[in-house]
Amino acid sequence: MRTLRALAVRFRGILGSRRRDADFASEMESHIALHTDAGIRNGLDPAEARRQALIRLGGVEQTRQAWRERRTLPWLESLGRDATYALRALRKHRGATAMAILSIGLGIGANGTIFSMVNRFVLRPAPMGQPTTLLALHTSQAGDECCNSFPYPLYADLRDQAKSFSGVAAYHDLIPASIAGNGEPERVYGQAVTSNFFAITELPMVLGRGFIAGQENAQEVVLGARLWHRRFNADPAIAGKSITLSGHAYTVVGVVTPAFHSVDQILDAQFWVPLGTMGELTANPPDTAGRDNHWLQVVARLKTGVTRDQAAAELGLLAEQFAESYPKTDKGLRFVFEQAGALPPRDRGTFLMFLTALSIVVLLVLSIAGANVTNLLSAQAASRQRDMAVRLALGATRARLRRQMLVESLFLGLGGGLLGVVLSLWSTHALSLLHLPAPVPIDLTLRVDWRVLLYSFALSVASGVLLGLVPAWAASNPRLANALKGEDPLAGRGRRFSLRNVLVVAQVAMSVVLLSLTGLFLRSLQSATDIDVGFRTHNLLLLAVDPRIHGYSPERTVDFLTQLQQRVAGLPGVQSAVATDAPPLNGGNRSDGFAVTGNPGNKKSNDSTDLLMATPGYFETVGTPRIAGADFGAETANGPAVAVVNQAFVNSLFAGENPIGQQVTGGGVTYRIIGVAGNVKSRTLGENTRPVLYRSLKQSVGGDPSFLGYTLIVRTFGDPTAIAESVRREVHALDPAMAIYNEETMEEHVRTAFFLPRLAATLFGTFGAMGLVLAAVGLYGVMSFSVSRRVREIGIRMALGAKPGSVERLVLRQGLVLTLIAIALGWPAAWMLAKMASSFLYGIQPHDALTFSLVPPFLALVALAACYFPARRAASVEPMQALRTE
Amino acid sequence: MGDKTDVWQGTLALMVLRTLESMGPQHGYGLARRIEQTSGDLLQLNYGTLYPALLKLEQEGYIKSSWGTSENNRKAKFYDLTKAGHRQLKRAAAEWEQTTAILARFLTPAEEA
Repeated sequence: MRTLRALAVRFRGILGSRRRDADFASEMESHIALHTDAGIRNGLDPAEARRQALIRLGGVEQTRQAWRERRTLPWLESLGRDATYALRALRKHRGATAMAILSIGLGIGANGTIFSMVNRFVLRPAPMGQPTTLLALHTSQAGDECCNSFPYPLYADLRDQAKSFSGVAAYHDLIPASIAGNGEPERVYGQAVTSNFFAITELPMVLGRGFIAGQENAQEVVLGARLWHRRFNADPAIAGKSITLSGHAYTVVGVVTPAFHSVDQILDAQFWVPLGTMGELTANPPDTAGRDNHWLQVVARLKTGVTRDQAAAELGLLAEQFAESYPKTDKGLRFVFEQAGALPPRDRGTFLMFLTALSIVVLLVLSIAGANVTNLLSAQAASRQRDMAVRLALGATRARLRRQMLVESLFLGLGGGLLGVVLSLWSTHALSLLHLPAPVPIDLTLRVDWRVLLYSFALSVASGVLLGLVPAWAASNPRLANALKGEDPLAGRGRRFSLRNVLVVAQVAMSVVLLSLTGLFLRSLQSATDIDVGFRTHNLLLLAVDPRIHGYSPERTVDFLTQLQQRVAGLPGVQSAVATDAPPLNGGNRSDGFAVTGNPGNKKSNDSTDLLMATPGYFETVGTPRIAGADFGAETANGPAVAVVNQAFVNSLFAGENPIGQQVTGGGVTYRIIGVAGNVKSRTLGENTRPVLYRSLKQSVGGDPSFLGYTLIVRTFGDPTAIAESVRREVHALDPAMAIYNEETMEEHVRTAFFLPRLAATLFGTFGAMGLVLAAVGLYGVMSFSVSRRVREIGIRMALGAKPGSVERLVLRQGLVLTLIAIALGWPAAWMLAKMASSFLYGIQPHDALTFSLVPPFLALVALAACYFPARRAASVEPMQALRTE
Repeated sequence: MGDKTDVWQGTLALMVLRTLESMGPQHGYGLARRIEQTSGDLLQLNYGTLYPALLKLEQEGYIKSSWGTSENNRKAKFYDLTKAGHRQLKRAAAEWEQTTAILARFLTPAEEA
């Protein structure tokens, strides 16, 4: 305690030292005076008395030194001096410092971003009790690819018989529901869980409780924290209140921790209901009795003291028993598991490989940045040799000088780390905002948490130390005699192709490749906007409803949609309105293989045809041309099924035949083709045009309800967003509880479909810019180093009459030679790589002339700029000064 | 150093505390002289070492200091025990007595063994 107090006092002693020094000086003064007085009293003459007093004190200066060392913390003070000195040195070389920090910052930012992905998908445990004892179980059939979910009876058997677990819970991973409450109803996704789910997962609750084990049919709901905040203003008294889910009353019993979205940490669920109530929330509830109907995810908590191996052994035995008892369904059954919240086993391998590859790439980026900075620092160290030599000659220890240099590079590392953290904050934010074109809600939020911060900090310290080692060693180890004379103390070798030059050529070459690819992807993004999607994207409003989850029968659903179309079509500013199950560019909805039936001369079939529902007037509304035959409108709900197909469909099954009136069968339904329409991009922008079969909405809602609900497509005369409000009013006029979702204009919808070209352009744009900056810094560093080593040579040249301009050209020429070599190497490599990228490109040739002719001169310009500053410095060498140091 | 004994680490602090307790507030020079006198002039202090020791005691909160005037009218810095200093003196003295007692058992000729 006392030592601590003393430490604190000494720490404080570093400040305000001047006053304390003066105080001690007067104390010394008084001591000597008192001692001298005593000496005089004993009969000494004053001078002798004072001499004696000084002798007994042991020297004023020594005493003061001993006292001062006790007063403060000397090592801290000298560290502080090192820090001030380092800051001053860094400020003096502002340009180099900024470039070093920028390089390291880019490197660490890239690493931090990728690490936050690793953290998100690999390191971060699910927020569920003791994460290591919670296992996610899957079934797997011998010979099949892993993994499948559970049928209910198998889950029940496992729950009742497995002894390794203290509990086994199950959940159905996604059910849509509309949620009422204050404000407009809204569509949200949730999960249905067994009543023991919360007890077994040990999820922390923000308030309230989970479900009570055994009450499978309780009309209770647990809310996700986000939904609770957004929809209920984080009402602290929400527990016990009743809310309406898809028209059914549920009592809120608790709010779960904000960190929890789903056990798998991928899906984004916002509410949880007991499994027994799932029937009333879904139009087609799964069959709980069937042993071959796989629809449940299972998690199990290990008993204390039971190892995973023991659990695996028991599960193996159980699987054999089940296979014997139920040979029809359970033959070849195996159980597999992983820690709950870890990556699902099916995608684990690829995903880990992907992350590893990314990590290696960004570590490479950091080491390139590091090499650059080392060059910069070496250039500086060379110019500071004299400074160092003088300090050594004056008695500074080499260790002290080394520490000095290390503190400096540590500052660079930390500064870079700080910039890196800012960059990764920005990039994770940007990545989290990317809207995946997936029909189900997926939580891919990346966050910079303490692990990422720690990692970035460790990286910046490590790079600071590593960066400093070489220059620190070199700087503290000059050949004294040489250095004092101002000769190059590190010199000796005059090789033309040093490692430095090779490195910088490699960097510039790489950035030629990167920039070329960046150019290609930017051009691809530009031309993707010109792709013919097969419909007119302007003046269309999309808006989805799902009457089914509000308890509507198929007939009422069709009625509702028909009435809604009529009401909306009557609104001012609206040209027409139709309904479908999913608009084009939906990322993949329903599809089936189709075959020609009832035609002895044609037995053709195709593997996959996309199915879209349509109402009369659909093609005119979206702007897809109808080419032949009739439109929907004459069919009845229960009459023979009719279809309109697109040209790709005709080409795949009826090449050279008239398709109208022919019959095709797919997914167990036989359709009579009544018309042909133009091709559209049904799933993604980049797809090769796929066969599409449009079926009648009113004939399909009953037999094959859409999981995604139904989308109203409205063609407007003007800005579609302007009438959105009145369309919403029409929906609520028909049913005030109806939830509206996925409201967007067709242009926004199409923009989301640009996900891939946009992601590629963003990624390569970022990497390209980073590569460019690093290459420029690298070139700058090498040229600076070269100039600082050639100061004397340049001085002699100028003394002999060389003009500053010609010296400048000398340096520029050297840099340009390096750049040209790099371009000569990089350009063909980019040319070859572009071919491999061609499958990701939209509408442009991989050997796009514009890109490949613009990149080299652009890079040469950047290189010229990077060399310009060292060249200017070379040209401003004072010949007299450079030569005087001889 | 002849027959004069050096002061070894740690004991100086105890001597300072004890002297302050018996004498009341003292300045550095007075303390040094008093310690030498108490030791019967067997100890000879290097006065310079006294001041870091005083500073350490002050930092630890056992003594406090203030400027005052000496008996022969000189400005001097006076040190005085704090409450914590009194407690520390008792503790340290007890410890020291125990140590010397133990050592004495080793050093006295073995009579009863």
